Amino acid sequence: MTPYRTGPSLTELPVPVLPQRRRRIYAIIGLLAALGGVIVFATTLGSVQIPFTTTFRLLLDQMPGVDIASTWQSTTETIILSIRLPRVILAGIVGAALSIAGATYQGLFRNPLADPYLIGVAQGAALGAVIGFSLPFQWQGAGFGIIPLLAFTGALVTVFVVYNLSRVGKTIPVTTLILAGVALGALCSSIVSYLIITSGDKMHGIMFWLMGSFSLSEWSEVRVVLPYFITGVTIILLYARSLNVMQLDEEQAQQLGVDVEKVKRILLAAATLITAAAVSFVGTIGFVGIIIPHIVRLIWGPDYRFLLPLSLLSGAVFLILADLVARTALAPMEIPVGVITAICGAPFFLYILRRKRKVVFF
Amino acid sequence: MKKRLCYFGLLIALFGLLAACAPPAQETVPSGGVTDQLGRTVELDGIPQRIVSLAPSNTEILFALGLDDRVVGVTEYCNYPEAAKDKEVIGGFNTVDLERVVALSPDLILATSMHEDEALRALENRGLTVFALDPTTLDEVLEAIGLVGEITGKVEEAAGLVNDMKERMSAVTEKTDSLSPEQKPRVFFITWHDPLMTPGSGTRHDELIQMAGGVNIARDLTSYADISLEAVIEADPEVMIAGVGMGAGDDLPAQFIRTEPRLGGTDARRNDRVYEVDVDIAGRPGPRIVGALEEFARLIHPELFAGD
Repeated sequence: MTPYRTGPSLTELPVPVLPQRRRRIYAIIGLLAALGGVIVFATTLGSVQIPFTTTFRLLLDQMPGVDIASTWQSTTETIILSIRLPRVILAGIVGAALSIAGATYQGLFRNPLADPYLIGVAQGAALGAVIGFSLPFQWQGAGFGIIPLLAFTGALVTVFVVYNLSRVGKTIPVTTLILAGVALGALCSSIVSYLIITSGDKMHGIMFWLMGSFSLSEWSEVRVVLPYFITGVTIILLYARSLNVMQLDEEQAQQLGVDVEKVKRILLAAATLITAAAVSFVGTIGFVGIIIPHIVRLIWGPDYRFLLPLSLLSGAVFLILADLVARTALAPMEIPVGVITAICGAPFFLYILRRKRKVVFF
Repeated sequence: MKKRLCYFGLLIALFGLLAACAPPAQETVPSGGVTDQLGRTVELDGIPQRIVSLAPSNTEILFALGLDDRVVGVTEYCNYPEAAKDKEVIGGFNTVDLERVVALSPDLILATSMHEDEALRALENRGLTVFALDPTTLDEVLEAIGLVGEITGKVEEAAGLVNDMKERMSAVTEKTDSLSPEQKPRVFFITWHDPLMTPGSGTRHDELIQMAGGVNIARDLTSYADISLEAVIEADPEVMIAGVGMGAGDDLPAQFIRTEPRLGGTDARRNDRVYEVDVDIAGRPGPRIVGALEEFARLIHPELFAGD
């Protein structure tokens, strides 16, 4: 039997593949739309039942130029606008911050295991927070307490010490940086453990903070985190091309006209800043910063000009959804959101890894 | 003279009648606010009608003052009295579900020092009135009851309850105060077995042991602390008490002190003086704490309190 075919031969078939670039731009637009949808969706759900239409109209009413006669109770408005919405927005910001910081660290260190907490941010923040809990007095300003402030300071001081410890002349060898970060992080963690066992009745508060939670998010927190987030993200996005070049040898990158040490310093500072800001209000939420950039890389490739914004958006969507599960699955009890990110994130990551089965670029 | 007395009596009766007709004096909120046990001054708009309790001990105080109908929200752990279980649940201890609390539109939220760092501020920022209790000692429990009475318009009920509790407390201490140091047995109270935990000085359990005429072997420790098995064996307790009834595996501490071979040589085990108490009663700084004191007294000094 002779094979008989009609139509164009294989070589003549039009290639149904969009150019990579266009595909990624569509992905960014798609994710932006998804983010908007997820924000509305997550705001309509909660432990108190509020009809979808009420929530939708209430949200619409907040848009400039839109005025809808309110048929809802003031408690409904409080629940939607000052409990759920700030929580959803903060979860989005933190997810975005951790993901883009993770992607940046992985690029900087050329190490797939790098996460936003690798060089001591989380441990430093935890130490600061626990010291805050042990203080005999309370302080409050600008709408937040002393604990986020000390956590933020702790994170920045730790990374500053790590940075200076690993500096050799004018260069920062990546290996030394990671080792110093891990060692100092371990030191901070052990001090935290010591403070926890001697903290007596403050222990529950500390454990709650360490597990990470969005349960008490407020607009004031969003307002504090947002400037750091925007500054850090803008800087990182501006250096996306340099990160691409740095995926080669550092020496080669230098020859291609990238001031490697300067870029390293700037990116380290930016990524640390946004991670510290995120961690200081919600505690350490694991898995997001490592898994989201890898998933994005596996789906859309390793070009940092797209990897960074795509990680940003995916991270926001992912953490908003994870927090939605955390607060509704066992309502009125809450599951620590870090548990959800690990339970949902890890299997999905493994699935993508198996399905793609291609070389992972870093 | 007799007639005069009679008039006087009539006058008093008349006043009594007037007082009965007038609106009850306690049904007003103290002006200028009330200072709670965290030192915050809390202003109330009127007698609270919708109260949310953020701790089992708070719930017990509210119900003991007859505020059953005004309590609209409790925690998952509020299991006493029975009627508390029918109230809407607003979360656990540390995890206050903000939107459920707001949805109940409470005019008073009764918190504890545990909520100081986080939930208290979050609730206040949503325009809610929060009053915090922080009773550690028995005197502070009595004070807390008085304060709740003050802010809920139940001053008389609170005073009655406090008096009753004081009487029962002094009934115990009258007998134990006169004991000489040699007559006070060494007591080991175990809150958890792994890690081995015990209440040190400054805790309510320590105070209960002292008032019941015992000596806490962990006096040198502060707060609820880890203690080594060696230290327990060396202190050679004459009485061992385990707190049970808290969550899954609740009787494990009791099993531990009954069966742990290395404790076999202690005075308490040789004389079979190993007991257990319900931590819901012995642990909560509420009205039932005086019952816990009486139970401690019976366990530590059965010879003095056998008939009670």
